[in-house]
Amino acid sequence: MHTMTIAGQTKMARGARSTLRRTLLICLALLVGLLLVILFSSVTGSERLPVGSSLCALFSGGNSSCGLTPEQSAILFDIRLPRILLAASVGASLAAAGAGYQALLRNPLAEPYLLGISNGAAVGTMVALVFFGTTGATEWLRPVMAFAGALASTFVVYQLARGRTGASPEKLILAGVIVTTFLSSAIVFITTLMDATRIRTFTFWLLGDLSGASTSLLWVSIIAALVGTILLALHSRPLNLLMLGERDAFDLGVEVERVRLTVFLAASLLVGASVASSGSVGYVGLVVPHLVRLSVGSDNRTTIPAAALAGALFVILADTIARTVISPRELPVGAITALIGAPLFIFLLRRG
Amino acid sequence: MSKQNRIIKICALALIVSALAASCSSRRDAPAQTTTREVIDEAGKRVRIPARAERIITLAPNLTEIVYGIGAGDRLVGNTTYCDYPAQAKQVAKVGDTLQPNIERIITLRPDIILVSTASQLETFTKQIEERGIAVFVTDPHDLEGVFRSIKSLGDLLGQQEQAEKLVSELRSRVSAVESAVKDRPPVRVFYQVSPQPLWTAGRKSWITDLIRRAGGRSVTAEVEGEWMRYSDEAALASHPDAIIMATGGEEKMEVAPALQRSPAVQNKRVYGISGDYLSRPGPRLVEGLEQIARALHPEAFSR
Repeated sequence: MHTMTIAGQTKMARGARSTLRRTLLICLALLVGLLLVILFSSVTGSERLPVGSSLCALFSGGNSSCGLTPEQSAILFDIRLPRILLAASVGASLAAAGAGYQALLRNPLAEPYLLGISNGAAVGTMVALVFFGTTGATEWLRPVMAFAGALASTFVVYQLARGRTGASPEKLILAGVIVTTFLSSAIVFITTLMDATRIRTFTFWLLGDLSGASTSLLWVSIIAALVGTILLALHSRPLNLLMLGERDAFDLGVEVERVRLTVFLAASLLVGASVASSGSVGYVGLVVPHLVRLSVGSDNRTTIPAAALAGALFVILADTIARTVISPRELPVGAITALIGAPLFIFLLRRG
Repeated sequence: MSKQNRIIKICALALIVSALAASCSSRRDAPAQTTTREVIDEAGKRVRIPARAERIITLAPNLTEIVYGIGAGDRLVGNTTYCDYPAQAKQVAKVGDTLQPNIERIITLRPDIILVSTASQLETFTKQIEERGIAVFVTDPHDLEGVFRSIKSLGDLLGQQEQAEKLVSELRSRVSAVESAVKDRPPVRVFYQVSPQPLWTAGRKSWITDLIRRAGGRSVTAEVEGEWMRYSDEAALASHPDAIIMATGGEEKMEVAPALQRSPAVQNKRVYGISGDYLSRPGPRLVEGLEQIARALHPEAFSR
């Protein structure tokens, strides 16, 4: 056991440079893919925009000589692009948070939605909405309460699942189920306190809806996505060591408690911001890190940034489907991600 | 050890429950209705109703208003917390709100008919009540004609045919007054906003679409399938409505969806809030809603 970890450590040190190069290459490839998806998504929607002129406008930053009418350019720049950016930051946040939880808890099934952390954030947001109103002045409370809710449920799940040998996969999922169902009842309770006419829009929001966010919430979620992902990525080496077990990681000089706290904080920030702006988009944090690990391996230095980029890509695509498949009506994006995610989850469960 | 004990307890409990159930059912069977008849409600379901309903419960405010409108309000024994019109309706026992009526309270009130509106999504609940032998009549209005049909069928159901006919003909004459006033006016393109963010609107199957048409307008979402739906922001922006109508009241403030901020409606300050009491309750006061929409869209037609 001991010799193995030392061997692992030296191998890691030797591979540091090549890992960096590999990571950069993979991220570059994903970034190119992400840009292509953003372009595709910006010219797809219920209203048909001329592709050539739209691309011209996108690349020239809204140059009026591209031939878009003011209305078409409003659709492109005021409606589609902000929504695509929100999809990207929500996807990146959830996937990075998922990758972080999975590494820290050494459990491939750890995911914000399944662990009840999204629900915690949702309860926080709803409390802010119901008790402090929907006006602009108290809008900042929503992400703050969502963050608090996410953090609180993270700790509860962790404490419930924690055993003498760390959190076992079974206990963790069980704790997640308990917290999820408990918080679901809390959500139902808060919903009954609401005005009847608002309930419908809220059920939609709960399923994950990317259209309801204001500009300030969009900025909050972009900044949170960047800060949270970078924080997690900076801790990817200790997370790698933690995957050997807390004890071994401690022996190798990892400040286990501090790393755990940082990861919890970063992941809660990511989940809180995305839930506050767009509800609970499920399964992204599960499916995306899994696919990333299947294709690039489980070194967190690569997995975390790659998962963030792939998550952005996945949610943009899912939302493009959500807003075009029954246009001009719309589906909540969470329905699409769950439709793809749930079968994949079952597949992974059977394989694992 | 305590296993045996528990089994005994469970058996005892089962006995008590079944005894109670038996006593309940025998009590309900006792005042056997001598005369009943069968009608078909607006959901296409056969309902066996007493010849004269003496104890009515309504589970939606529009139905409460119809019941009072046809002069059967004195037989109303229960309604919902949303039922606040006419004023007497507030004094009636409340059985919960439209979405969550309390079945125990309903049973305690011993109704012989319960009136339900499809707007309230009570599928499982309806079954539960019918299993207890209480008649449930479902109304399903999607336009003004549908409301008139509901009024007439409730009139027939409650033995108030004459008053129902009278009410409908009064309402009809108000409707035709509006229609003739706006007849030669060019139709105004209207967007009906249910909620701004996320954006919800009314589609082909909603009475709102019918009201807007009769009031001399044309809903830009008139052809969209469905009743109430989440609507695409960009489609709303591209629809260029000349007027925006929204229901007011409740906690919501009047707020236009961001996607509609550039619309001619907002630029020409043609955003109208009309009380949700008139727009979201498919009852007699829907005609009040029609009149207000028409005045908003064509003020010059009503300037006298």
